Amino acid sequence: MPSGLASYIARRLLIVPFTLLVISFAAFSLGRYAPGDYVAAQAPPRANQETIDRIRHERGLDDPVYKQYVRYMGNLLQGDLGISQNPRGVPVEDVLLPRLWVTFQINALVLIFTWVIGIPLGTWAALKRGTWLDPFAIGVFLFLASIPVLVSVPLLEWVLIVKLKLLPTGGWSTAEYLGVELGVFSKHAVLPVLVLTISGVAGLARYMRAQVLEVLDQDHVRTARSKGLRGDVIVMRHVMRNALLPIVTIFGFELAGLIGGSIFVETLLGIPGVGQLSFQAVTTRDYDTIMAIVLLGSTIFVLAMLTVDIAYGFVDPRVRSGGSVQS
Amino acid sequence: MESRNLVYVLTGIAVALIVVIGGLVLLVSSGGDGDDDGSSGGNGDASPTLGARVEGELRIPGGDPITLDPACATDIESASYIIEIFSGLVGYDNNLELIPDIASEWDVSDDGTVYTFHLRTNVLFHDGSRRVASDDFKYSMERALNPDTASLVADVYLGDIVGVDEFISGDASEVSGIKAPNPDTLEITIEKASPVFLPKLTYPTAFVVDRNETEGSSCFDAGWTFSPNGTGPFELAEWDLGNAIILEPNPDYYLDPKPSLSKITFLLSGGSSFTMYQNDEIDITGVGKDNVESVRDATNELNAEYRFSTTLSVSYIGFNVNQEPFDDPEVRRALAMAIDKEFLTENLYKGLLDAADGILPPEMPGHNPDLQGIPYDPDAARDLLDDTGKRDLLEDVTILTSGQGAAPDDVLQAITAMWEQNLGLTITVEQEDFALLTQDINDGNFDMFSIGWIADYPDPQNFLEIKFHTDSSNNDVGYSNPEVDRLLDEANGDLSDEERFELYQEAEQIIVDDQPWIPLFFGTSSLLVKPHVQGYEAAPFAIPNLRYVSISD
Repeated sequence: MPSGLASYIARRLLIVPFTLLVISFAAFSLGRYAPGDYVAAQAPPRANQETIDRIRHERGLDDPVYKQYVRYMGNLLQGDLGISQNPRGVPVEDVLLPRLWVTFQINALVLIFTWVIGIPLGTWAALKRGTWLDPFAIGVFLFLASIPVLVSVPLLEWVLIVKLKLLPTGGWSTAEYLGVELGVFSKHAVLPVLVLTISGVAGLARYMRAQVLEVLDQDHVRTARSKGLRGDVIVMRHVMRNALLPIVTIFGFELAGLIGGSIFVETLLGIPGVGQLSFQAVTTRDYDTIMAIVLLGSTIFVLAMLTVDIAYGFVDPRVRSGGSVQS
Repeated sequence: MESRNLVYVLTGIAVALIVVIGGLVLLVSSGGDGDDDGSSGGNGDASPTLGARVEGELRIPGGDPITLDPACATDIESASYIIEIFSGLVGYDNNLELIPDIASEWDVSDDGTVYTFHLRTNVLFHDGSRRVASDDFKYSMERALNPDTASLVADVYLGDIVGVDEFISGDASEVSGIKAPNPDTLEITIEKASPVFLPKLTYPTAFVVDRNETEGSSCFDAGWTFSPNGTGPFELAEWDLGNAIILEPNPDYYLDPKPSLSKITFLLSGGSSFTMYQNDEIDITGVGKDNVESVRDATNELNAEYRFSTTLSVSYIGFNVNQEPFDDPEVRRALAMAIDKEFLTENLYKGLLDAADGILPPEMPGHNPDLQGIPYDPDAARDLLDDTGKRDLLEDVTILTSGQGAAPDDVLQAITAMWEQNLGLTITVEQEDFALLTQDINDGNFDMFSIGWIADYPDPQNFLEIKFHTDSSNNDVGYSNPEVDRLLDEANGDLSDEERFELYQEAEQIIVDDQPWIPLFFGTSSLLVKPHVQGYEAAPFAIPNLRYVSISD
């Protein structure tokens, strides 16, 4: 391994804990400075103000934010993610992990479908440049990528569930295979995967098409073509490989998004995933759950980006020299 | 060249659009007339694969409860599960009658302050290990009141008992007013006679819990509630977070009728419950504004399954009556007079809510059908407001409401539009999280606010004294009227219900004349219930009603 690359990786690794620390503090204080807290959120109008204040005090919610942050981080470093407030008193990991698993299953399937369909589709559209098929395909992609899930979910729901009665109405299956809960093989998974795949494919295909077009115009492709290489060889060896490089970054983002969850799709279809949990946690000021979601999400994101950066470092010497090219 | 490409792009969009819309149109037209019987017949056909139901099972939509700890519950959602799993000394039946529960009977001392409860001897905890004795109640109530338990409401429902303050402040190690002289007898002494002490005991904070699993636990430690050892008609078989709560009947249940359902599944996940109902995935669903008109149509096959009833709740606009210009009853009346409530119920709520003239809902014992409300009269409202000379003071006022949306809900928009149109006032609506709203209301940090109130027990005291007595901590508008206080105090005396209700009606009329609130609507419940569900009655507030339900398969 060249020494430049090693120090490049070391530099990148050093930044990771620092980034996470900044994120954790920002998320923590933003949450605490938002008006109201979970005790106030759960106090019914009947509750006595003195009782509310007493419990708030006992929970340390009236301490300065930096104190609460230090306490939280202290617990976190000992592996204590805190307790959920909705349901109240359940360890955060017990609430979060099952939902994480649901979201992960959906998004993993979506990721596979998106890439298997989107990459060839985008390449195909680019190769049809000059014919009516290319702009036509762009139109279709543009349309599909622009339908908000708030529209596509109810539409598909109405067609597939109400009219054709092919699918159950939202929710999630807890069916087990070999002792593992794998709801993704049930009919419940069809609609969320379909909706997310459609918009994913359309977006990725458009991006891939643009990349392929750019590469097609480059000198080495023209040279290859003038050498008389076969069309499919040019496409596979010279065009797609180069066009895919920048797209790897997108893959990194999507990897990180595996546990992100879609607030809209999950809430509309009543799927107990991370997206639905985030929404619920924010509205009930469920501090520890919010922090766990944010920290887990940002850790995975930072690591995915790190992997992408390091991969670039191997491929592109300009990156590790640490200057002109930023990613 | 460029423009030709653009044409192709647009063609692509158009084709995609046509495919989508065309497909939909095709579906509608092909489904068209066959659709109506398609869905009714389809219910039977499609259901076996989708929502398989075991014999005697009831499937209802639900939400994850915030807690299943009776000492800690503060919301209806949580209470609706707790009342089926746990039980207390007394309860309510579907007719809103207070009935004996674990206490088979009770004596009250002549001065009305000492209650002697005689407990049934055949009440077992779900695990069958032992019977419920009076010291279990003493333990449970003291646990709820213990500051370490951190209950937000125990002091509200059990605060009448002698010695509670000393116990909460740590000056006493037990609540002196709760005594268990022998296993079958529980003696509770309250500070002063109160007609609503028994009703307060129907709230979950007074329910009995098993000492062996709850000792040392607090509201922020829910571990034991996943396998609670209760005493109620149903046992918790499973709580799968976010997916389902499953209840099974308690074979040792002590009241009649005993539960006859073999299983109750509360589905915590899932999409629109109305669609799930149509797909035969659930047996009961609520009906919202969007669907109620079609369901009420007599030609709709769902119409026969539609049930409409009222609940013990009211929504209202509260004024800060200690602040200008709302300290002037004329200003409050003028604002009330400019709201056309009938128009709102018909057009915005599609008749789902009843317009409210007074404070007490129609189903509430003591409701006064002859109450004089403030009628809608825009011209009189304008004159009244002009006479007060306080129009200028209404320029910068805001009305607080809960919400996160881009626009406040339709009703408040319509009300502010009526004020603008009828009175020429521009009143701003400010949306906040519910948590913040209740805090601002508690702090008196508002001009006006919009919120609702739902009964804990069916007694006028629960609305009138709690919301309007000068000394009540829940009197959030700060209303104070010595005459009203006198009537409310008198109604707490040792009187017959008729005498008490008369006093409450008198107080309610004064309150309505003063309009510290503009009462808007009484709550109702619109449900669809499958024909095979027998004996289900919508409860106007949290009442354990599932043991009356059976399934005719």
